[in-house]
Amino acid sequence: MPQVIEQIRSTATLIVPEIVLLAAVCALFLVGPFLVNEAGEAPAGLRKRWGFLSLFALVVALVAWCDGDHSLVQNGLFRIDGLVWYARGLSLIAGILLVLVLWNQIDDVHSAEAYACLLSIVMGTNLVAAANDLISLFLALELVSIPTYVLLYLGKRDRIGGEATLKYFLLSIFSSALVLYGMSWLYGVTGTTNFTMIRDALVNRAPHAGEGLLEISFALILAGLCFRLAAVPFHFYAPDVFQGTTASNAALLSLIPKVVGFVALIHLIPLSGATDGWERWMPDHESKLLLAALAVATMFLGNLMALRQSHIYRLMAYSSIAHAGYMLIGLVIGDTAPVGGREAILFYLATYGLMTIGVFALLSARAGDGQPLKTDADLRGLSRVQPMIAVLLAVCLFSLTGLPPTAGFLGKLNLFLTAWSDGTQLGHVLAILMALNAAIGAYYYLRLVALMFLEPSAAEPQPVRLAWAPWLAGTVCAVASIALFVAPQWLWDSIP
Amino acid sequence: MPENIQHLVMWLIPLAPLAAAIVTALLGPKGMREKSHLPCWFGLAVAVVCAYVLLFSIVPGGFGEHESQAVVAPGYQWIDVGGLNVRVELRADAMTAIMLSMVTAVSLLVAVFAAGYMHGDPGYARFFACFSLFVFSMCMLVLSSSFLLLFVFWEGVGLCSYLLIGFWFQKPSAAAAAKKAFVVNRIGDFGFLIGIFLIWTTFRSVDFATVLGEPQRLAELAAAQPGRITAICLLLLLGAMGKSAQFPLHVWLPDAMEGPTPVSALIHAATMVTAGVYVVARCTPLFVHSPTAQVVVCCIGGVTALIAALIALTQDDLKRVLAYSTVSQLGYMFMALGAGTLAASDAAPALATTAAMFHLYTHAFFKALLFLAAGSVMHAMGDVIDMKRFGGLRRALPITHWTFLAGAAALAGVPLLSGFWSKDEILGALYSAGSSESPYHGYYYAVFAIAVFIAFLTAFYTFRAYFKTFWGEERFPAEAGHHPHEAPPVMAWPLRVLAVCALFIGGLVALSGSFAGYLHHTIGLPHAEEPGLRWGLVFVSVAVVVLGIGLAWQMYVAAPRMPSKLAAAFRPLYAASLNKLYFDEIFWAILVAPLRGLAWLAGWFDRVVIDSIVDGLALVPRWLSAVPVVFQNGRLPSYALVMWAGLIVCLALAVRLFASY
Repeated sequence: MPQVIEQIRSTATLIVPEIVLLAAVCALFLVGPFLVNEAGEAPAGLRKRWGFLSLFALVVALVAWCDGDHSLVQNGLFRIDGLVWYARGLSLIAGILLVLVLWNQIDDVHSAEAYACLLSIVMGTNLVAAANDLISLFLALELVSIPTYVLLYLGKRDRIGGEATLKYFLLSIFSSALVLYGMSWLYGVTGTTNFTMIRDALVNRAPHAGEGLLEISFALILAGLCFRLAAVPFHFYAPDVFQGTTASNAALLSLIPKVVGFVALIHLIPLSGATDGWERWMPDHESKLLLAALAVATMFLGNLMALRQSHIYRLMAYSSIAHAGYMLIGLVIGDTAPVGGREAILFYLATYGLMTIGVFALLSARAGDGQPLKTDADLRGLSRVQPMIAVLLAVCLFSLTGLPPTAGFLGKLNLFLTAWSDGTQLGHVLAILMALNAAIGAYYYLRLVALMFLEPSAAEPQPVRLAWAPWLAGTVCAVASIALFVAPQWLWDSIP
Repeated sequence: MPENIQHLVMWLIPLAPLAAAIVTALLGPKGMREKSHLPCWFGLAVAVVCAYVLLFSIVPGGFGEHESQAVVAPGYQWIDVGGLNVRVELRADAMTAIMLSMVTAVSLLVAVFAAGYMHGDPGYARFFACFSLFVFSMCMLVLSSSFLLLFVFWEGVGLCSYLLIGFWFQKPSAAAAAKKAFVVNRIGDFGFLIGIFLIWTTFRSVDFATVLGEPQRLAELAAAQPGRITAICLLLLLGAMGKSAQFPLHVWLPDAMEGPTPVSALIHAATMVTAGVYVVARCTPLFVHSPTAQVVVCCIGGVTALIAALIALTQDDLKRVLAYSTVSQLGYMFMALGAGTLAASDAAPALATTAAMFHLYTHAFFKALLFLAAGSVMHAMGDVIDMKRFGGLRRALPITHWTFLAGAAALAGVPLLSGFWSKDEILGALYSAGSSESPYHGYYYAVFAIAVFIAFLTAFYTFRAYFKTFWGEERFPAEAGHHPHEAPPVMAWPLRVLAVCALFIGGLVALSGSFAGYLHHTIGLPHAEEPGLRWGLVFVSVAVVVLGIGLAWQMYVAAPRMPSKLAAAFRPLYAASLNKLYFDEIFWAILVAPLRGLAWLAGWFDRVVIDSIVDGLALVPRWLSAVPVVFQNGRLPSYALVMWAGLIVCLALAVRLFASY
């Protein structure tokens, strides 16, 4: 018995930020229902109190993150290394921004549960990065998925919202099943669930043993995780769900599943590729082709479909698909090129998070009082009515386009350099296709900017009160996009 | 001096004017108004002090030793990914220090003058914000450590000149002049940029330290690809021609007179036009490997100088005379830069570059002086600058008169004044290039002859302007009122200081030999003993100067009717010179008009052909995206089905690997 306690204690020290979040989640879930009476009424302003509690928990977790060292520690279920450190920082900061965006997107009655779900998702993201075992990885993945279903439902409980939630729920379960099935193949080949032992088993196995089985496992896991990345052809839920849900949920869905998906792939792909860790992983020819096909299809479909959209949330869904395509290029190249594919992906995730959260935050910044900005018509002439929002939104859109002086430019530049410096024909083709797609993307992003600044306003300019929280989040995102362009090196250096 | 203090000093030189620009831009229009010049003065004063500290610290252990490194002040590493490494850092060597000491000092004096000249202008704060930004760009240009950074601030200088030339943008002529300056400069920049690309592909680097500082490697590359080096030099030259107003890109400079007079002084003396000369001088190690490029530099300088001097002969606008004299003197510097051929001697490049930089240095002082004095005349005459409408001002404006005379004498090359020494060195460099074994020595002789002739023309037109303005019958235009007022102290003191510099700086530096002794510490310039005065050349140049001044006296003071008789006798020649040799008209006929026609044609082509193609192409994505729309039908089973199909495809692709074993 003391041995078990000792093991729990030593494991717990590895996940201090997550335990902080867990404590907050427990408090929210347990106390929250008691503040709502039986008629379903809550004291006004309750959501603000829960919001501040969530921010407090995230900041404490952030402090614990800063404090903890990130030298390599392996302990059965979890491991701590540079990747975990980076992913944690990314998800905690994204969590703070998402809490701010959620601020006026939820009513008082359901606020406790909504914030609890958001914190669970952040926690799940961290645990995906820290997982060192198929079991803990799968649990962490579900810790992201299940609260997402609840959050989608809580955000918008009308018919369209219900439809979006249900679609996401069913398709997500399908994808989880695929991942689990793929993991079971991996377990079948190696007989263990621990990453370290899987790696040892694969390195020391007899020649040609388990070939074919490993590839099936690879394909299943990839297909399952591609759902989270919103890669073609597993992307179909994205436009419908984005359109049917709130700004905060759309912001969450555009970033967090991508972080989770790419981090999980960075863990799993080298395993099924039977090499000793990502550092020496280079996809073999067939998986390269498969990944490249996914990347190209995803980029093109996302960008081409985005051209047709007039609903901005739907457009952003396709844009999120296209960005997944760009990042998949990094995965194709692997870590053999002079500019590593993994570094480029992780850098891109950070810049992409800033721009996409920024867009949704700014779109919802006046949703509390004025009309929510959802379609082309709402953006028309925005610069006359809301000049600050228009300018900040334009910065985020420039960043999505990949224009200097914004962080989005550097993200694309890194991926381009990755693909080009690989030196293979495939790399060059991918780099060129990516540039072509960036050009297509420029059309629909800049069209929105033109709508805001060049078109006359439909309505008379009248002062609209801004909700401070999403406004703050949007400002931080836009300013950080520019600041990151000016000083990118520290972020690049902090990538493991 | 401790290293970190030296780095701080280097950074302060550009950053102090930048801070001044920001403060003025933010606080000026609302807060400081009439005191907007103070941040600019303060920032430039800091820059001047730092520049002189740098001047005396950059070459350690006296002038005699010949080992000194360029000092590199690390700044900011923007990005370092793979092979891409972009740094913002400052680099200073002897040439940088000399340039900075001139740029900052002249700018400060002009800024002091401008506070008086621009007094009461509604855009007072805007003027000083742009002014500070201009000086910042120029300092950064000179301090750049690589061609890339140089290019950034090269454009920055172009932008600031646009803002300042078009300062009174309400005037259509000012707006047009600003646009002309910018567009003509863009032509040069285009070549410059391609030159930088070529440098990158040839040297795999754009750092000065790598490109210019490794003579061994440079010589090998030059031997392997002589054509490449010539191409690089000529493209860099194209950029320099734009900035330094060399034929045929000189047309913007005279029009730049539309800006406020202190801006003219700044552009013509200290900041903008010197950039081109600086770049060619900086790239001397490259140019010596291409005798062809060198002779091109020399000939362009000669042609420019001759044309500008001929035009200057008949202009009635005082500022235009000075503007053409600037173009002509810049031509002089280019002649010198082109004369540094290795065929003359191993030391020739160093001597020629020294001569050009020396002339740049002295010219900056006396040309700033002349422009400011002309500004003072304008100030007194109620903004009239046409020499036909005033005269005999020497009693009304005594300070302006004396300082203008000092500047004019220096420009004309009166013996023992600044211009005399530097001009003499240029003539010497040209003469040695002409008498060398170079296959182009005939060209050098021709340019030498032109240079002597231009020395005569310079003396003549400078004193023509002087006599017409300050001698003869006293006349004031109506705009000036009854009592023209002499410049207030804030304008008079910069004139006095500059006059002293114009008179003595050349002699002091030339006689002590310190300029060459200092400049040869620049990376890539070999040490060279100064040849001393060549008495034959001195005699010739003194003779032509005396001749020129005497002729001007004869024509405009002794026999004032003579010019009009001469003009009548040689009407076509006179008209040609008066109309700037019809350059604007020729450009219109051979460039602008055909280009407009081409533009119209291109516009038509664009509207009818290209637009149809683009619209057609833009339809393609829409057609393409019509296919996935079929699947994006909102029905859950359909989504799941396509996902399942996708999974099958993934499996098939992955297992193909298995099949291939």
